[in-house]
Parts: sequence; C-alpha cells; structure tokens
Amino acid sequence: MIEDIASICGTRLGPGTLYGAIARLEQQGWIEPLPPEERRQPYRITAEGMRVLRAKLTTLQQFTKVGLERLEPL
Amino acid sequence: MNRTVAHLLMRLYPRYWRERYGEEFEAFLETHHGDFGASVNVVWSALCEHVFPTRGGKMHQPIRSFGAVLKQPSAFLPLAMSLIALAMVLGDIAIYGVVHSADEGAVAHLWQLLMAGQTPIVAFFAIRWLPRAPRQTLPVLALQAGAALASMAPVFFLNL
Repeated sequence: MIEDIASICGTRLGPGTLYGAIARLEQQGWIEPLPPEERRQPYRITAEGMRVLRAKLTTLQQFTKVGLERLEPL
Repeated sequence: MNRTVAHLLMRLYPRYWRERYGEEFEAFLETHHGDFGASVNVVWSALCEHVFPTRGGKMHQPIRSFGAVLKQPSAFLPLAMSLIALAMVLGDIAIYGVVHSADEGAVAHLWQLLMAGQTPIVAFFAIRWLPRAPRQTLPVLALQAGAALASMAPVFFLNL
C-alpha cells in the first residue's frame, strides 16, 4: 500500500502514518477488514466509504478545474 | 524490521489501540524496511495516538469520571507537590517565625523546586487529557491552579 501511494502521489508514508490513517478510516466505517491472509491484514472500502470518497474526489475535481482555469490567463 | 524492535515500537501505542491493531501492525512492521526514519515515524504516531486518540466505532472511549481523571499521576502529583510546598512554608513559619534574610534556606530552595517541577507535569496533563475529557479535566486543572496559588500566597503576602 505504501508503494502504491508513493507511485500515485510521490509521497512515501511512514508505517505509523499509514496505520494511523487505517485506524481512522476503519473507525469512521469507510473501510473494513477482510479475513487475514497469513500475517497480512487486507482491508476493503465500504459502500459508505465509496460514497464519501466519490464526493471528496468530485469536490477536488471541481476545485482543480476552477483553479487551473483561473491560472490559465496568468 | 527486526521482530524485537517491531514489538517494542508497537508497545508504544495505547492499550486500546494495541488490542485492535497491535498484532497486525507488528506483523506489518516486521515486513517493513527498518530504517531510522520509519522508527521515528512510528514513535511520533504513537505519541500522537496518546494525545489525540482515534475516536468512533469500536475505538470509542467511555467518558471518564472526574475521580478517574484525578487518579492519573499527572493529575495528583502537581496537587501533592503544591500541598507539600505549602506545608513546608507553614511549618517553617511555625517553627522559626517570619524571617527575612538575604540567604535563601533549604526550605526556600525545595519550595522553588517543587513549584517549578510541577509545571511540565501540569502541561503534560493538560495536553493529554483536555482533548479526551475536557469536562473532567478542567476542574482538575482548576484544583492544580488553586493548590499552586495557595502555596504561593504565604510567600508573596509575607515577603518570604
């Protein structure tokens, strides 16, 4: 997951930061644990998590679009 | 990361966090590159978890009572230090009377140590407990302030 995040946004999360985020996302009900695979603990996004993520990404998309449009004439 | 180091780092987290994530986090750390930066990141995250605990869902912490907050060492130690400082000053006055001298005695030095020494403890208590249980923490902070003021009162009013 750390490698995946690093490849998407270029920031490498520390293990404490990553698990802090996992704990908060799970406690919000936005991700849920799947059965463990040996010592590896996979998680998946919940329906509520998808709804929240879609809303956040839509807001971010609008923000980015407007920001780029306003930067265009400069 | 070394298994022992991973276990020690995991132990830095609060108990409620360890009960839920401890095992998988330790397993995750063991598979992670054990560089210094990663260890610092875990220590910092554990400290943050103590100060700003994860809320909601299964991690919801019951609201603690005033008594439970007062039983924390960082709550009662400053109170005890102030009361000891006050008792020392009053005892000194009872035995020797109000004496003004240029040379500060042992009691004065101990009083200063007790009063200065409790400042970081009070700061730690406020940082740790105010976000978790503000209603229970504020009266304890008021008690600590009251005890400190009571201890300072004879020193300032009698110009000791």
